[in-house]
Amino acid sequence: MLKLGVFELTDCGGCALNILFLYDKLFDLLKFYEIKEFHMASSFKEHDHLDVAIVTGTVSSQRDLEVLKHARNYSNYLIALGTCATHGSVQGAVEGKIRDKLEKVYGTRANPMRALDSKPVVEYVAVDFALPGCPYDKMELYQLLIDLAKGIEPVKKDYPVCIECKLNEYECVLVKKGVPCLGPITLGGCNAVCIRSGLGCIGCRGPLPKEANPTSEFEILKELGYDEEYIRKKFKTFARGELRW
Amino acid sequence: MIILRYVKLPSENFEEFFNSLKRWGTVYAPVKQGNIYAFKRVDTLGEVSLNYTRTMLPPKKFFVRPKDTLLKLKNGRWEEIREVKKIVLFGVHSCDIHGLQILDKVYLNDPVDPYYKARRENTIIIGISCMPDEYCFCKSLGTHFAMHGFDLFLHELPDGWLVRVGSVKGHEIAWVNESLFEDVTEEDLKHFKEFEEKRSASFKKHLNKEGLADMLDLAFDSPVWKRYERICLGCGNCNMVCPTCRCYEVCDYWINAYEAVRVRRYDSCFMETHGLVAGGHNFRPTRLDRFRHRYYCKSYFDPSAGFNCVGCGRCDEFCPAKIEHVKVLDEVREALK
Repeated sequence: MLKLGVFELTDCGGCALNILFLYDKLFDLLKFYEIKEFHMASSFKEHDHLDVAIVTGTVSSQRDLEVLKHARNYSNYLIALGTCATHGSVQGAVEGKIRDKLEKVYGTRANPMRALDSKPVVEYVAVDFALPGCPYDKMELYQLLIDLAKGIEPVKKDYPVCIECKLNEYECVLVKKGVPCLGPITLGGCNAVCIRSGLGCIGCRGPLPKEANPTSEFEILKELGYDEEYIRKKFKTFARGELRW
Repeated sequence: MIILRYVKLPSENFEEFFNSLKRWGTVYAPVKQGNIYAFKRVDTLGEVSLNYTRTMLPPKKFFVRPKDTLLKLKNGRWEEIREVKKIVLFGVHSCDIHGLQILDKVYLNDPVDPYYKARRENTIIIGISCMPDEYCFCKSLGTHFAMHGFDLFLHELPDGWLVRVGSVKGHEIAWVNESLFEDVTEEDLKHFKEFEEKRSASFKKHLNKEGLADMLDLAFDSPVWKRYERICLGCGNCNMVCPTCRCYEVCDYWINAYEAVRVRRYDSCFMETHGLVAGGHNFRPTRLDRFRHRYYCKSYFDPSAGFNCVGCGRCDEFCPAKIEHVKVLDEVREALK
């Protein structure tokens, strides 16, 4: 049996909850894994060595940083799960220094809760696998965990949302309806769920590593009549400053 | 095999003819879905868009499926999944028939792809005439008229359809439905010719094929590729919709703790890992390499065997960056002067 720990940093809780949403599929995972820590599922906790640690959320406080360091130091394989952990997501998109933000919200620059500027897990520690998505596709996590249990090197996605969109034969909302869709520059794996509903991709899985061409996407959206500020905000909602143009 | 026989299907018999096709298999035809067309299962003639421009995914999807489960891992053994159904593809354009013939060369030559072969053998193809739109350039490539690769081909006439019979199966369908057909008259042939002439004059886009392979030979370092590298999103949409793209990826997925499926899906040469080989070497590491590669694949690698492009215009229509295949090649040619 492999030992698994799930650690939550600052996030909405959805990523940890999404694991439980595997429902009966969870029993497949329990054939290979023993859960040593999973706050949302059980109060049971055993601080020991872990084979696989899953970390969700951003590092937004000193407490988060300590939990993350613990998870890294006590595990063989660390999975950054969800866009908060992999790219910073919405929390990471808030600009400015922490003390300025505290002053704006609380009227004081004091920082008794020892908050930090929200940053993704990947900026603090080396991760073995980054699985983005807000929320991530739970079946992708399922595949990943069984692969690891069977000793199979998991395959990282290398294609944008457009690929799965076309495989499903969804109407292209960008080309055919002028809907602002970030599909061409966003990492796939979501099976193009938003486009299935006629919505444009909001880029929740972060940019396609190395290969995204945001400059061209920016020009395309500008030509469709969207103003620069709108596009800039759209680009950094989940990916912070990672998409430069 | 070219079997020449022309018959006429009068308009009033068209629906009955269409309905009779169901006895040969499940009928799939172009249907409008939002702002695109797609080959879908149809029950009545009313659902069919006879005047469609092009479907987003070409009829290739029936033979090499976008996502196709090939094997199933059960009790530690791989089992083959091969269910073949008889289908009728109704309303295939000439360019797509040519596209299938290009795929045939890949999938039916040794080593034969058994999935492709079985589906191809169980499919009846009924072509239909069309009028070009602003994206079509099939005439430049000679793929605007199909001489073979279909069972029946319907050409629009003012009062019905001129039907070309193109295979033994086609003869069989015509024979079974004999009462629906008439002999072709001189006037029908005149109308057929008029239609083809009008169509021929309607093409707005032309590809200069002359010395294309030599031209590409000289243009490997053309600044035009570099310019397009900055515009191209590398999203692979052009590959996904192409009737002649034939790369696929094979992945395994767990369906429970001990059972898995092996699925193949369309792959795109615009993906960074497409050129990745053992040892971490990548023979097309940059977007520029991959962008250029697509043009060489379509027009250069084996000119004696013909082009791997049928001029259907799908890559232009579905490119978010509005990159035009013909324009790129024209600009590359121009830059050499």
